[in-house]
Amino acid sequence: MDVPAITTDKLTRRFGELVAVEDVNLQVAAGQFFGFLGPNGAGKSTTIKMLTGLLAASSGRIEILGTDLAQNPVEVKRQIGVVPEGMALFGRLTGAEYLNFVGRMYGLDRETASNRTVELLDFMGLADQPRKLVTDYSHGMQKKLALAAAVIHGPRILFLDEPFEGVDAIASGTLKSMLQRMILRGATIFLTSHVLEIVERLCSHVAIIDKGRLVAQGSLEELRVGVEAKSSTDGPESGSEKLNLEQIFLRTVGGSHRVEQELSWLG
Amino acid sequence: MAGLSNTEMTQPRPQDQYRAIGRLRWQLFFNSVRSTRGTVELLSRLIVGFMIFFGGLGGAISLGFATWYFVSENKIEFLPLLLWVVFMFWQLFPVIATAFTETLDSSSFLRFPLSYRSYFLIQLAYGSFDPATALGTLWLVGILIGIGYARSSLVPWTALVLFTFAIVNILLARLIFAWVERWLARRRSREILGVIFFFMVVGLQFVGPLLSRYGESSSGNIERYGGKITLAQRISPPGMAAQALIATASHSMRQTFFFFALLCAYGAAFALVLHVRLRSQYQGENLSETAVVASASRTIQQRAWNVPGLPPQIGAVLEKELRYLSRSGPMLFTMIMPVVMLLIFRIGPGGGPESEGFLVRMPDLAFPVGTMYALLMLTNLVYNNFGADGGGVQFYFVSPVPLSRIVAAKNLSHTVVLTGETIIVWIAVCLLYRPPLFDVSVATISGILFALPVNLAAGNLLSVYSPKKVEYGTFGRQRASWTTVLASFGIQFATFGLGALALTIAHSYGSLWFAALLFLPLAAIALSAYSLVLRNLDRMVLARRETLIGELCRT
Repeated sequence: MDVPAITTDKLTRRFGELVAVEDVNLQVAAGQFFGFLGPNGAGKSTTIKMLTGLLAASSGRIEILGTDLAQNPVEVKRQIGVVPEGMALFGRLTGAEYLNFVGRMYGLDRETASNRTVELLDFMGLADQPRKLVTDYSHGMQKKLALAAAVIHGPRILFLDEPFEGVDAIASGTLKSMLQRMILRGATIFLTSHVLEIVERLCSHVAIIDKGRLVAQGSLEELRVGVEAKSSTDGPESGSEKLNLEQIFLRTVGGSHRVEQELSWLG
Repeated sequence: MAGLSNTEMTQPRPQDQYRAIGRLRWQLFFNSVRSTRGTVELLSRLIVGFMIFFGGLGGAISLGFATWYFVSENKIEFLPLLLWVVFMFWQLFPVIATAFTETLDSSSFLRFPLSYRSYFLIQLAYGSFDPATALGTLWLVGILIGIGYARSSLVPWTALVLFTFAIVNILLARLIFAWVERWLARRRSREILGVIFFFMVVGLQFVGPLLSRYGESSSGNIERYGGKITLAQRISPPGMAAQALIATASHSMRQTFFFFALLCAYGAAFALVLHVRLRSQYQGENLSETAVVASASRTIQQRAWNVPGLPPQIGAVLEKELRYLSRSGPMLFTMIMPVVMLLIFRIGPGGGPESEGFLVRMPDLAFPVGTMYALLMLTNLVYNNFGADGGGVQFYFVSPVPLSRIVAAKNLSHTVVLTGETIIVWIAVCLLYRPPLFDVSVATISGILFALPVNLAAGNLLSVYSPKKVEYGTFGRQRASWTTVLASFGIQFATFGLGALALTIAHSYGSLWFAALLFLPLAAIALSAYSLVLRNLDRMVLARRETLIGELCRT
């Protein structure tokens, strides 16, 4: 049996009194394109930070490719690539210098790091301004560079926190095609995004977190069936059309009530 | 359901907005001291604030005394000198000591329905609450008291003139800052301005020694130009204020009004130019980086450095650090200042062997002094290891390299810089003074072997416990952590104290080799302390990672 890519057991994170993530049990199989959804402040970024070692868990256990993150963080980090919320770029390097640096940090030899840097810069459309410092890149260019850095060592799992935020349609297309190619080659991708259309198109499996608790997890079809079953017990279904991810999401986190809610002074 | 058109829109009152902004400042301050680190920061700030205050008080007393002397001895024509001191400090201090200055991001309030008048006043008010204004005002009060003691009848007019002079200073300071802010909006101009600023600071160091050395031989020229400068300064704001006071003292009311009116005209002119700048800000000018058009599409193959004998990760961090430093103003400063300092001491006041600079008289001290100064300059970088990484620090936490190894690589880059610097200082000493004696060189290097690990160990701890995001390309809007400032005082005091003690003991035994012998066990202790810190660094950094990332990712 294949070792799961990501497993968490009662993963919890507290900030003083606030429980940001509570008893989250995630199961992501190897090779899955996994979407991690939730409203603002639900605990998505906190979870992804814990999974990548940027934040310590208050309690619970994280296993990445069968290795305990707390016990062997270096071994885990060797196998993953991360695009964190802040992108983690070094502004006063050029794109090529940055990618070379990252490659070397992951143990690539100079030749390989250099070759992959050239390839990645070309692929991402960042090769035409070799002397430009990262700090002078546009937001979209920085996103592409951050993604390039996350994949330079050929990670088995890729963690992406809002990779499509602030990225134009062309760049978004480039990123999506690259991610799909990685999946075809057997990598696992774990991404958070607010753009549900993209998640629906790319991800085979989804988990939804709300108020720090995991409220749904499974393939899109499993989630759909679950929501429809719940709706049919609650009352008659208004339409016979297949629910899309946005509808599933809103029904799962109870957002549909919020959509209908009114503000007294706006009318 | 009521529509948007029916929503009652309230007109914001300016006084409510001022109150809200005042409250915001208070809340920001209050929230910043809620954490332990914030409290320590506040305490450090208070201590440094007291030090500045007492320095300022000393300045006020000196200026007051000088004013009293000039007025009571009928030498009031020297008054412009004192006002020039205040004026230069008021205008230059905020630019030079940006670490002490807190400025308002002009864009932050523009999204609110502020009237332009309110915006202007808020900008002005923000500028008025800074150390330069506080000290400048204190010094003017000193001058007023000095005049009052000498001739109490002059107090009312003096108070009015000095008050107007203060307003002119505030307006000019804000005007300079507003324009500097406009230039600093682009990285390239920030860097150019940084280099100009750097050369200005270096150039200023030579004014005193050159004047002392060549002053007498070129006294004819100085008198000629001095006369012209004296005439020219009269039309400057401090000159106008001084002329108004001199005229008051000689009961020439027509001249008093005339110069006072010109001083007011200066104020009005500064207000007008400031208005032009602030109006553009208010209207939403775009100061972002313009897109640089690529000259040609090309991919360059660039290999990472090959540093023999080093693991690739350490080599990578070393390369990254040195690339960062080579693109930074502080680095330029660090590399050049020790040599500049040696040159200044070499020029000295001149005029015979008795009045030569002390390093000319004691050239054996040139190498140790230059090297220690280089180390002192390096602490800017060592005490805030992660400061320049900003959000990039997250990468270190997700990369498969232990933090202690990354910090060791950073320390290695600092050591490389200091080694290079020591070699430069050695060459400079050979050229400017004489080749350092062998025992002096050995004692100095032994001293460095002790002082460097102490500073690296302390720097690593401060970098973890008191990080501060810095932008190497900028000279403005950066505040050092006050905890770091205070801690660095203590560490330098202890290190140099021990060094001086070792040298004194060696001197009493008549051999510098004794100092080297004393430094070596101290170096061994310092190295053990450094390695202890490094061994525990992973644990410390992991425990502090949230604070560290939070501080460095702050925008």
